[in-house]
Amino acid sequence: MRRILPLLALAVLWLMPGTAPAQDVVKIGFHAPLTGFAAADGKSARQGAELAVAQANAAGGIAGKKIELVVYDDEGKPENTIPLANKLIGQDKVAVVVSGGYSGPTRAAAPVLQRAGIPYLSAYAIHPDITRAGDFIFRTGMMGEVQGRAGAKLVADLLKKKKVVIVAVNNDFGQALTAGFKEVAPKFGIEILKEHTFAMPDRQFGPLVAQVKASDPEVIYAPGYFFNAGPLVAQLRAAGVEATIIGQEGYDSQRFIEIAGKASEGVIVTTSLDRDSTSPATRAFIDEYEKAFKDRVDMVAASGNAAATVAIAALKKAGTDPKAIRDAIRAGSFDTAIGTLSFNNLGEVKKAVQVQVVKDANFHRFAIIDDLQFLAPPEK
Amino acid sequence: MLHVELVLQGLINGSMYAVIAVGLTLVYGLLRILHVAHAGLFTLGAYITVLITNATGSLPLAVLAATLVVGVAGMLVYRLLYEPLLDRPPYVALIASIGLFICMEESYRIVFGPYGNSFDTMQLTQRITIGPIGMAAADAAMLVGAVVLLTGLGLLMKRTRFGIAWRATVTDPAMARSFGIDTIKVRYVNFFIASALAAAAGALVAVLNNLVEPTMGSVPSYKSLAIIVLGGLGNVGGTLAAALLLGVIEAYGTIYAGAFLDRDAIAFVFLIAVLMVRPQGLFAAR
Repeated sequence: MRRILPLLALAVLWLMPGTAPAQDVVKIGFHAPLTGFAAADGKSARQGAELAVAQANAAGGIAGKKIELVVYDDEGKPENTIPLANKLIGQDKVAVVVSGGYSGPTRAAAPVLQRAGIPYLSAYAIHPDITRAGDFIFRTGMMGEVQGRAGAKLVADLLKKKKVVIVAVNNDFGQALTAGFKEVAPKFGIEILKEHTFAMPDRQFGPLVAQVKASDPEVIYAPGYFFNAGPLVAQLRAAGVEATIIGQEGYDSQRFIEIAGKASEGVIVTTSLDRDSTSPATRAFIDEYEKAFKDRVDMVAASGNAAATVAIAALKKAGTDPKAIRDAIRAGSFDTAIGTLSFNNLGEVKKAVQVQVVKDANFHRFAIIDDLQFLAPPEK
Repeated sequence: MLHVELVLQGLINGSMYAVIAVGLTLVYGLLRILHVAHAGLFTLGAYITVLITNATGSLPLAVLAATLVVGVAGMLVYRLLYEPLLDRPPYVALIASIGLFICMEESYRIVFGPYGNSFDTMQLTQRITIGPIGMAAADAAMLVGAVVLLTGLGLLMKRTRFGIAWRATVTDPAMARSFGIDTIKVRYVNFFIASALAAAAGALVAVLNNLVEPTMGSVPSYKSLAIIVLGGLGNVGGTLAAALLLGVIEAYGTIYAGAFLDRDAIAFVFLIAVLMVRPQGLFAAR
């Protein structure tokens, strides 16, 4: 009997439903790559979302109930997100889920959450298939294609340049941006001289730099992340390449400027966060984030914050019924750190593209592309 | 002109691979261990270089500290991890090594943060031109650094008592012991040198990229394995040649095959091709 008692106790513990009574909190699920190759973005996304939750709780929560962010590490691996999506649904019983992860994991989780009928917001993953999983899936970040189109408009309309070399990271991020850029390039009379790719772990671009130099473009359109872009831009400038470099939201981190140093000056990026915005939501986010985490804001933090803000606003309006939350997101307009967001029939966000330039080691406003017709994401 | 630059850039990358892979081949030659955690020591060298440079303002001091500290760390890895496993089958040490490597990467992330570290002021930003050929001073440092380190290693192996002891131990440990060679000491010195080389490579890469990250060792960890296999396992000269050759092939591959072949895949396509024709590696004697 003595031997059996501990086992019995274990069995009872195991069979007992859930732990704390769930009535006094509203749970929002969250996953991001907190370890592994994308841990930098995971940390930013998490901090952004945590800030949104902390602010909402300080303002009284949802109908007097505290909001709890249930955070899981997806390690940037799609195979991890399916079990953790199921965990969020079955064990944590969350009302809504926010993805602070990349396209792979987010794409894997979307059908699971769709089947369970739990609203799912992707903060900055860009793969087009994510929202196609169904009507419970939304994206608060820009689609790659949309941002690529904005890049082409920036090159032709704002900079009045034509000869472009594309140097893109060879994953869905780079491919989607390149596709969007190339889709509208002929319309703007942009000539693409050469197209190259590099891998996400690449930091040394010597051969590419030599080739770009030989092509002698006016503009280098270079989709990548800050950890690629920092060394790439520094190496291009060190080799004497003077063409204008156009980056995307992947560059949007103070770390890019620290890595590339002086070479980052004059680099122009299309992104979601306007550092010079006067909108109260954006200003409050930038100030509070820098105070709370003693670090500079970046695009990923702003996107994580915006997605969580939409989730919280929908919960406030609709309560915890998933269908009502979905309808509230679909019908609503949300004031966030990355501007005012509303969604189309597919769940894609409708918003302006921020164009920022690096000046005196900071991102500043260069222009805003707000032709929403030109930027319209697909409806199905 | 483009081709001159491509070959040059290939040699620069190749010399980085060489400095890392030579350390790996030294360990393999002596103990028949695939020392994956070598890439973790490479990362440690890079971190120490950046942190000490930022603290003291002196890059040479930082590089010296990095090589010494990482050299000792390498000896500890041998003492604490590999030595207890020497009488087990080789895959046990390999699994332990992979475990240590993952543990090191995540420790760097926890201690130094996931965003990576950079020099407060960028190092070696000048541009050097010799006739029509130009390169960044950091590139030149990589080339010169590799030549100096590897020549030094060559002299050590050929001209010194330690070199003789090392070669004797590799050839026949029992015979070496019977001639009074302290084979245990040889192992410690071996790990010190191999790890110090990894640290130097880490320092050079830190300068080149102005970026040190927890996961910066992941590509070198497997690519250097491919290189030592290509070079004929345990063959120092072969490893050098394979590293430089791979650097140049990658440089061309990036430009002419980049659309369908990832740069990091090139090493393995090359590896498969070579192993089909010469299973003993490019430079190994039959």
